[in-house]
Parts: sequence; C-alpha cells; structure tokens
Amino acid sequence: MIKNDRRNSLSSDQTWILSSLEHDQLANAKKRPIPRRHLKGPELLVLWALRLYLLFMMAVVGYQVWMAAH
Amino acid sequence: MKPVAIQTEEDVLITHEDVDRAHDRVRVSTARAQRGFSSRARLLWLLVGPGVLVMLGENDGPSMLSYAATGAKFGIGFFIPFVALTFCMAIVVQEMTVRLGAATHRGHAELIFERFGPFWGWFSMIDLGIGNFLTLITEFIAIRAGLGFFGVPPWAAVLFALIILYAALMSHRYWTWERITLAAAAFNLVFIPVALMTHPSWHSVGHAFLTWQPVPGFNKDTLLIVLADIGATVTPWMLFFQQSATVDKGMTTKDIRFGRIDTVLGATLASAAAIATILATAPLFAHQMTADNFQAAEFAQALQPIIGRFGASLFALGMVEAGIVAAITISTSSAYAFGEVAHKPHSLNLPMGEGKSFYAVLTLCAVAAAAIVLIPGLPLVYVVLLVNVVAVLAMPPALVFLFMLVNDKEIMGDLVSPWWANILSTSVVFILTAAGVLFGISIIAPNIFAALGGK
Repeated sequence: MIKNDRRNSLSSDQTWILSSLEHDQLANAKKRPIPRRHLKGPELLVLWALRLYLLFMMAVVGYQVWMAAH
Repeated sequence: MKPVAIQTEEDVLITHEDVDRAHDRVRVSTARAQRGFSSRARLLWLLVGPGVLVMLGENDGPSMLSYAATGAKFGIGFFIPFVALTFCMAIVVQEMTVRLGAATHRGHAELIFERFGPFWGWFSMIDLGIGNFLTLITEFIAIRAGLGFFGVPPWAAVLFALIILYAALMSHRYWTWERITLAAAAFNLVFIPVALMTHPSWHSVGHAFLTWQPVPGFNKDTLLIVLADIGATVTPWMLFFQQSATVDKGMTTKDIRFGRIDTVLGATLASAAAIATILATAPLFAHQMTADNFQAAEFAQALQPIIGRFGASLFALGMVEAGIVAAITISTSSAYAFGEVAHKPHSLNLPMGEGKSFYAVLTLCAVAAAAIVLIPGLPLVYVVLLVNVVAVLAMPPALVFLFMLVNDKEIMGDLVSPWWANILSTSVVFILTAAGVLFGISIIAPNIFAALGGK
C-alpha cells in the first residue's frame, strides 16, 4: 500500500493512478457507507410476501424430496 | 462521478488493487481515444468479460443436464424457442446489474446491505449462500460424471477441477483470471458440433421456432423441466457475480453500452450451446429412450451409437467444462459477496497476502462442495434438476431487490431504468413467480392438473 497525506505532494505514479480511476473506484473510497433507504409500506409488503412465498416453496420442495425418497 | 485528478482534503490510500485496475482503465481509455474499426474492436475485446462469463458460466452442469433431459424427453419442439426466450429474460435481468455496477462501483450484496439494512441483507445472503453451495455441489457432480466417461476415478476428477480453479486464481489479476476463464468457457460451444453430428432436422427446428409446436402435455414432469430450463438461465448468483465482476473490472458509466453488448453476446453464445444440447439429445427421444435414469455421462454413453465415440467424448468433455467454469464463477460470486458484506478486501486483483479472506472463502466453498460429491450413492440427476428449480424459486425476491436498486435515483442518478425496462423486468418477476406457484400446485394438488387435462 502507498499512503500519502495532504501535506505531501502526490508522486507522478499516484497522480496517474488517481486520474485513471473515478474517485468511487478506489478501494478505500468503498469503505464509506451508502446512506440507508427508508422502505415504504408497499415495498415492505412485497418483500415480506416474496419472503413467505420462498419459505413456503422451499417447504414444498422438501416435501417433494421426502415423497421421492419414500 | 468525474475522475479525480488529485486529492487534497483527505488521505490518499492507494492499494495494489487500485494500481492493477488503473492499468486496465488506461488501456480502455487509450482504445476509446482512437478512431476506426480496429480500435472499436479492441475496446470491445477489453470490455467483454462479465456478461459472456456469467451467461456461459450459467450453462453449467445442472443446466446442460436439464437441456439434455429436455431433448431426450421432448425432442425438437416447444422447448427450442422456450429456451431462447429464457435467455432474453436473462438479458433483461443482467443488463440491470451492469448499470448498477458501473454507476455505483459497489457489489450487489454490499448495496442490498447498505440501502436496505442488515435484516433484508442477511435474507438475501442466506438465499445466495445456500443456492451457491447446492449449485457448486452439482458442478462437481457434472465434472465427476463427465470425466467418469473416460474412466477417471471420482477423486481424481474433483482434484483435477480444484487444480484448474486454483490455477486461474494464481495470477492474482482480474484481467488474467477473466481471460483464462473465458478461454475455458468458450469450450461450452463444443455442444454445437455434437448437435451437428446428430444431423438434426432443420425443418423441424425452423418449425419449432416459428410455431412453438409440438407443445408437450401439461403435467408435473413437463413443469419440472420448464422450471429446470428457466433455472438454467436466470439464477440469483448471476446477479451478484456480474455486478461484482463489473466493479472489479473497473467499468464505468461510459462502458455501459459495451457492457450491454457483452451481455447480449454472452446470451447469444450460451443459448446457441443450450439449444445445441437439446438437438444433440433429441435422437434419444426419437428412439424412444427414457431419460429418467441418465446421469451426465450416461447421456454421452447413450449417444455413442448415434454419434460415435468421438462425438460422445466431446459431449462428456462439454459437461466437464460446464462444471469447471461454473465452479470457478460461482465460488468467486460467493467470495465477492462475503467480502462485500464483511467489509473485507474482495478483488481478484488482490495478492494472496492482502486478500486472505477472499481467497479462503473461494477455496473453502469449492473444496467443501467437491468433498460432498465423493459421498457414494447421491441421486445425481434428481439433485441437479432440483437445484435449478430452487434457483427459480429464489429468483423473485432477488429480482425485487435488483428492481428497487436500479430504480433508486439517489444511487443511480439518470441511469435509473426506463419505463419499458421496468415493464420487462416486472414481467420476468411475474413469470418466475407464476412458474413457481404452478410447480407448488403440481406437488400439493396434482389432481388439479389431471382435471385440466394433464397427467
């Protein structure tokens, strides 16, 4: 890792790297969290409905496997 | 998101990963600055990868076995255009991951966790983790069965696959890994010459494409194949993999057009291989041979009297390739997702020392799946068909997260989905959910199917 702070001038290599990549592309920049989104009622309803659908269907698949095994 | 020439307000921390990615971006910028056909072709060469890999990677062991079972059970007819349609659905879905990755430079798991919180994030990760691991097991089943055709013992077959997977990683460079895996994935097209060896009736193929006829009877077995064929083209790991690979490759919003070309190219190649597999096993249907007991290598054995030893060997090798490429891409998808969620370094550009957790997860997933395959007495064909069905069932929740993210103006800006893309993606969610519900009804209340004229 190459580390500089603002008191030092950036070397030409680092300048070249920084100009080649978008700021958000730097591995370090990805550590900054993205703000949480507030989910609205209809969105939560859809997410829960699909979650229950998936759980129910997994039970169906389990039942089919059990039937096939017997 | 404009490139930053210099930073003055905060520390500048440049990692090995950044240096490698910057090298790749300079080559792209140089090619983009030039005019003419050759520079456009070079730009395409530099930017293809995630789309082709995800599509050919999804032509994996269980997928090719589903297509082989389709051809052997139903011959040339409804399923030929149906498989082409499923790849159109895959293009609609995967294109969204290209835009998300290029616009946010974040992986799919990371975005779900950060935008929707850990509660929904963990649900999503559990779906991905279970699905990926089950699918990985089936990849090693395909490898074991394919190499079994040549008399290779199971332990040697899985060891061979693990060595190839590890060899692709050894470069510690995304670009090199991508090119090695692309070269391996190109071997998926081996099913095309195998199909040609069976001398398919092109008149029947053309008729099937134009009329979707003959339509198979509406019953539980048909529905299982319908779901398995859908699950052979659209699965949750594809969303996570293509977005993470787009980010790791360093693609930006300027590259989205080439990302779309990459996705369409991958879908075209993969659908050609898929349809070729159906055509290759269609003679088994014509000879009224049942496919119920065929494992991956047994399809090759069954085809041997029709296409000879060479053709059957190509078929078996195709199964091996399908398993190996998918084992590479799916274990990478798991490692990317783990790194994104655990906030650990996650890039194929990382040297082993800096990406210990990334490479450890990748290797552990592959080794554990390979070990399970060595357990004797696994019901192979049933397992692989069920894995595709599970993938279809897990897809609607994954697609809704994708849909919400790609329409999120705060992170996507002007790159949110247009209305027509939303209609298409909503249609895909409805089709997948309806297919899942029909499958559930066929299991719980098979008498309803009988009442509707099925068996």
